[in-house]
Amino acid sequence: MSQRIGIDVGGTFTDAILIRKNRIQRHAKVPTQTEDILATILNALDALSIRDENAIDHITVSTTLITNAILQNRLPHVELFLFPGRGMALDALPWPVPYHTLTGEMDYRGREIHPPNKAEWKNLHALVQQNPSALYAIVGKFSHRNPLHEVTLANELRQRYSALRLAMGHEWGQANFYRRSLTTYLNFAGFDMYHSFAQHLQQAITARKIQAPISILKADGGVLPLTKIRPIDSIYSGPAASVLAPLTDMAPGMSAIVVDIGGTTTDIGLILSGVPLLSAKGAKIGPYSTLVRSLAVRSLLLGGDSATFASDEGFELKNYRLGPAYCLGGQVSTPTDAMRYLGLIDYGSAQRAEEALVRLLPPEERTPSSLRKLAYAIVESLVDQIAESITSLKNEWLEEPAYKVWEVLHPHEAHAFHIRLSGGPAQGIAQALEKRLATPVECSSYSEVANAIGAAMARPTFDCTLHLDTTRNYYHVEETGEQGKWTGAKRPYHEVLAFLNQLAEMQAEKVGIKLRDPEIEPFDFFPVVRGYETVGQIIRGAMHMRPGVIGRLKR
Amino acid sequence: MNQTGILFFPAFDWSLGEAHPEREERLLYTQEQLFEEGVLDLPQIKQYFPGIAPLHDVLRTQALFPEPETEALEAHLIAAGSAITLGEARVRGEIRNGFVLVRPPGHHAGATVWGNRGFCTLNHEAIMINRLRAHFGIKKIAIVDTDVHHGDGTQDIFYHDPNILFISLHQDGRTLYPGTGFVHEKGGPNAWNQTLNIPLPPGTGDEGYHYVLEEWVLPRIQAFAPELIINSAGQDNHFTDPLASMNLTAKGYGRITELLQPDLAVLEGGYSIEGALPYVNLAILLALAGEEFQQVREPQPQTQTPLTLSSFKHYLKTLRQEHERVTPHWPIEKKPFLPMGNWISLPHSVYYDTEGFQETRHDTIRQCSHCGGTVLIETRRLREQQKHYLVRIPFQSCPDCLQAGFDLWEYLTKKAERVLLQDQFHDKVYFWHNHKGVRPF
Repeated sequence: MSQRIGIDVGGTFTDAILIRKNRIQRHAKVPTQTEDILATILNALDALSIRDENAIDHITVSTTLITNAILQNRLPHVELFLFPGRGMALDALPWPVPYHTLTGEMDYRGREIHPPNKAEWKNLHALVQQNPSALYAIVGKFSHRNPLHEVTLANELRQRYSALRLAMGHEWGQANFYRRSLTTYLNFAGFDMYHSFAQHLQQAITARKIQAPISILKADGGVLPLTKIRPIDSIYSGPAASVLAPLTDMAPGMSAIVVDIGGTTTDIGLILSGVPLLSAKGAKIGPYSTLVRSLAVRSLLLGGDSATFASDEGFELKNYRLGPAYCLGGQVSTPTDAMRYLGLIDYGSAQRAEEALVRLLPPEERTPSSLRKLAYAIVESLVDQIAESITSLKNEWLEEPAYKVWEVLHPHEAHAFHIRLSGGPAQGIAQALEKRLATPVECSSYSEVANAIGAAMARPTFDCTLHLDTTRNYYHVEETGEQGKWTGAKRPYHEVLAFLNQLAEMQAEKVGIKLRDPEIEPFDFFPVVRGYETVGQIIRGAMHMRPGVIGRLKR
Repeated sequence: MNQTGILFFPAFDWSLGEAHPEREERLLYTQEQLFEEGVLDLPQIKQYFPGIAPLHDVLRTQALFPEPETEALEAHLIAAGSAITLGEARVRGEIRNGFVLVRPPGHHAGATVWGNRGFCTLNHEAIMINRLRAHFGIKKIAIVDTDVHHGDGTQDIFYHDPNILFISLHQDGRTLYPGTGFVHEKGGPNAWNQTLNIPLPPGTGDEGYHYVLEEWVLPRIQAFAPELIINSAGQDNHFTDPLASMNLTAKGYGRITELLQPDLAVLEGGYSIEGALPYVNLAILLALAGEEFQQVREPQPQTQTPLTLSSFKHYLKTLRQEHERVTPHWPIEKKPFLPMGNWISLPHSVYYDTEGFQETRHDTIRQCSHCGGTVLIETRRLREQQKHYLVRIPFQSCPDCLQAGFDLWEYLTKKAERVLLQDQFHDKVYFWHNHKGVRPF
């Protein structure tokens, strides 16, 4: 009967929503127990008090499990073996984890420059012997072009220690040795935690007699089946959900700036002609730069509950929260109090809101007109910082690097943006934001459970990027790290598209999703010329299913 | 302001022709290398989006004939626009230095342009430099061209400009394209000694190259005290280069960058796309960013031994003596239409290798002790009858040269078919065509 459940684990609260035939049936909010995400999710699910388990055909969870484990440094250590080759000094970039370096080098086309020095590997044996149950990761520079060194070392270690747990960098097939190393590290470190979570979640859901498949929301706003997702891809799904949510009640093909203002943080995203903007670079989490594809989101440490103190300049908004707003029974003044005083929002005590503002002014200035002025100034200061982030995000989009003449001659078209505002204090800043950016603002109808809606309605994303070198007869897929032999023509044309299709079909089947109207990027052909002769081609092409939602909600 | 800007524009969808050295593949491996190293993740690196140079900026510096719009310019305009983007970022103080890592190159494109030569149509550095002078009031700029080929186009554009110091180090013109860049080419009558050509013997190597920089180039730059230093960073001195034989290494290029401390490095030539470019580009970028480049090494071993430093020192000593002995010779032009003053006549010809034709040039310069002097260039594509003209009024022109420029313009628009007026003083550009009249650009 087409019922979907979305659960979003947030920092303070976890929201759940039940959607039936594109209508919201029920929603629930439970406190998040940071130490027990699983219990939290089940509480939220139970709070929906589902009656007809069989009618549910999909559950999507957006979880902070891995995000929190990384940020709180709760992941196990992974021994990292690197083949860094020569080039930029390793320590030019900050490595948040220790590593061992090994001899052995590949070049940018996957040709071996230096073989590994097997004498060095003897020391590794000693290391592994001491701790055979630890996690090990091997990453080589240019291993995405040729994994030979990684595979040889892995095989050698596995021969001696058959149960050894190993991850290899070439499984993350994108360029960037530094990010590939850290991504391999984090993903492997989070492996056990994620899989134990997944297993328990599946068991608990089954115990509740729900047969529906479970999906996890990823940083790029797409969903994948619980058992198919790579743990690290589950980071930053909350902000992704908040960017997806407005799509469920927007006309298709519209462009919007998404502002989701909470108590402590404000997330800002961009929707361009109905498609959320992806970040050009991989996600950064804590001290780790990764290859994780994520939506371009600016997270401001400011919100309705930001602690507000008197200062020499009048007042100062802090980037932290000290409990709820004064007008809601809290201890400190906040922007929410200013909004309440001005009558922009209708919750909280008006009298306490006034008191909150009075506390920020010296006794001689506590007149109604000064209070009004101060209240406006506080709201405007909040809006100014949000506006700055919006500008910076728009610039990131407008200034995405371009590597082709065509791209420079056809820059991004102008979009007619409107602002989609959601979150508790949304009403409080709507007017000021509209004025500041001279852009129409619309407040979301389901502000308080927007993220759960985004999760429930998210659809799968899919990317398959082919790199084919017909001179060296190999191909490679960025997303999976798959590498293989090319047996086709040296200068193929139409057969490349068929080949990409075939790879994509296989890849989609592996992760358990169906390819629906994938978008195909134009291929780039690089004739490889040696001497005066064209000896082959390097070909790049890609297929995508962009982030989006499965449909629109009816009111 | 400790940022290093990078504008990487490899023009992956553009080439000068199938199997041409200036083709899609040229910066492909550089991209692979830079991305895999994670250079763009360095906190001090800031990446910029390419720009498109407006025709006004092009024509302020170069005269395109027969029509300003005739050439297929798109890729060239983006390369020039990219140089401008990064140049402006530098002058605004957003970055400490920057690397314009773009195709196609530009340093063989001169003051008059009839087509593509040495793979160049527009001179990005020159266009960028004159834009910075026009918009930001920058006065003195030094250009050091370290491409293995003589930077003849850049020299041509600034040959009469006393506020530009142009230094080119290159393999001796007797053994390499374009066959110019000898020590006697020292600048025009108002800019004598503002052009310095240092032809180097094949096999110079890292040590010799660094020696000439330290002993000759750096002191000359210091004496000039420029506001900006621009490095035309061609990469064909590398020992794997198929055409030249200078025997430099990628590390050696890093050291060149470290010695010159350019405000901007701009990629020029270099067609050893697998053996040199990924490594040389990496070394230059790391050196600009203040990172260690000692571990950047090309996979191929250097097979030829460079010249010994002592034999190189001997060569250089003789060259400097030769350079000092050169004295100017200024033949006076007397034509009735030339306005008041001494006009110096410098005829020469330019070969366009891409399409294989010759341009005949006759440059006439008003001798002036107050400013750069008005320049009149008569140009003709060989075997074509029609002569076209460029009149250039210099930046900071004195009133007499300004008047002389306008008098010439007025005279020529009555007589000639096509004339371009580069009024750098007022930052105005006009093109005259006898059928279409005057068009501002």
